[in-house]
Amino acid sequence: MRATADAQLVERIRSDETGEALRELYRAYSGELYGFAYNALGERGAAEEIVQEVFLRAWRHAGRYDPDRAGVRTWLYQIARHAVIDARRRAAVRPGPPPSEEPGETEAPGSLEQAMLGWQVAAALESLSPEHRQVIRLAQFQGLTMREISDRTGLPVGTVKSRIWYALRSLRLVLEEMGVTP
Amino acid sequence: MSGAWGDATWSCAHVREQLGAYALGGLERDEMALVASHLAVCHACTREYDGLVGLPALLDHAAGLEVVPPRPALEERVLDAVARERGRRRRPHRGRRFVPARVRLAAGAAVAGAALGAVGVALAVGGRDEGSGAPAARPIAPVRYAVELHGRWGAWGRAAVEPKSGGTIVHLVVRGLPGDGRAVYEVRCEGGNWSASAGSFRTDARGRAYAVFTTAARKGEYDRIRVVRRMHGRMTDVLKGRIN
Repeated sequence: MRATADAQLVERIRSDETGEALRELYRAYSGELYGFAYNALGERGAAEEIVQEVFLRAWRHAGRYDPDRAGVRTWLYQIARHAVIDARRRAAVRPGPPPSEEPGETEAPGSLEQAMLGWQVAAALESLSPEHRQVIRLAQFQGLTMREISDRTGLPVGTVKSRIWYALRSLRLVLEEMGVTP
Repeated sequence: MSGAWGDATWSCAHVREQLGAYALGGLERDEMALVASHLAVCHACTREYDGLVGLPALLDHAAGLEVVPPRPALEERVLDAVARERGRRRRPHRGRRFVPARVRLAAGAAVAGAALGAVGVALAVGGRDEGSGAPAARPIAPVRYAVELHGRWGAWGRAAVEPKSGGTIVHLVVRGLPGDGRAVYEVRCEGGNWSASAGSFRTDARGRAYAVFTTAARKGEYDRIRVVRRMHGRMTDVLKGRIN
């Protein structure tokens, strides 16, 4: 189970001097955390700073992580959210135009969960094969019918349908592995 | 299930192929009606559909979001930051224990390659820090081991391992790798069933690179160096060599 394995990784990162446990954690979550931070700050360098800060804080506070209170993903997103708020505060006291908005501090309590879920689904989608990802994007995000996707891709309609079917099944498995039940 | 769909096996199998498109609302109107009427009487297909029906709403959360991985160099930056802090905490009065990893591309590869062949020769490296664009040059401590690396595509490399109290510094020169600029290569230090990454690099347009890594793996913990290529989520061995 992914959640258990990740909790064990967090347990190991303090004592593992090779850095492999931290590297594994980084590879599992850095993509979506980077997306989350980039979406919040709109700047690549700032988003990278946040990702670095998240894993540094995770390493520092790994001993305090309690798997009974939150999953590893939730814990990392909470750290990321605080890091984003800190970054915005720092930016606000620097000379120059004030930040246009600070949703990190005014957002509703459920919005972190919503953002986390969005990036989690985006990460799950990203883990599919390019062919599976493409048909889901065309059908769900562009609203194309199977026939229109067939015209667009040059695939027979039957192939498009079966590809969608297998793509959704794969997506469901990945999401279940992440602990998200459709 | 039997009926308008023909025999039981065919009809359920056929309907299930439509279920993904049905769940996403991508079928033609008459097809939607046929699937709906089948689901109304077939429990097996309904169970299958129940596993998909929540996915469109979940996908809506990801609309407009695209996971773009951060630059590969960030991984090393993060690990270096942690290694530095670990070192500071362990020896608070003696400063940093680990030196940040530097990844330098192959402006000085020929010079470095010649020098790496000689055990005990000090190197002066010219190159650029990845990302910073600033010229970099520093003296490098005496090289203790020279490792020949051989592998695919006629590529070759040489590595030198410089033991430090908190790990090792790995100097690496490679040539002849596919220089398309898209692939990320990773250096791994291995011994027995044990393996640790020393860091990652890209080549220049001619498939050459010179890189210096700091790894927490200590002398004696590994006896092989392997370079792997990461591309499209796949990992391929490209070079390997044994430390004499």
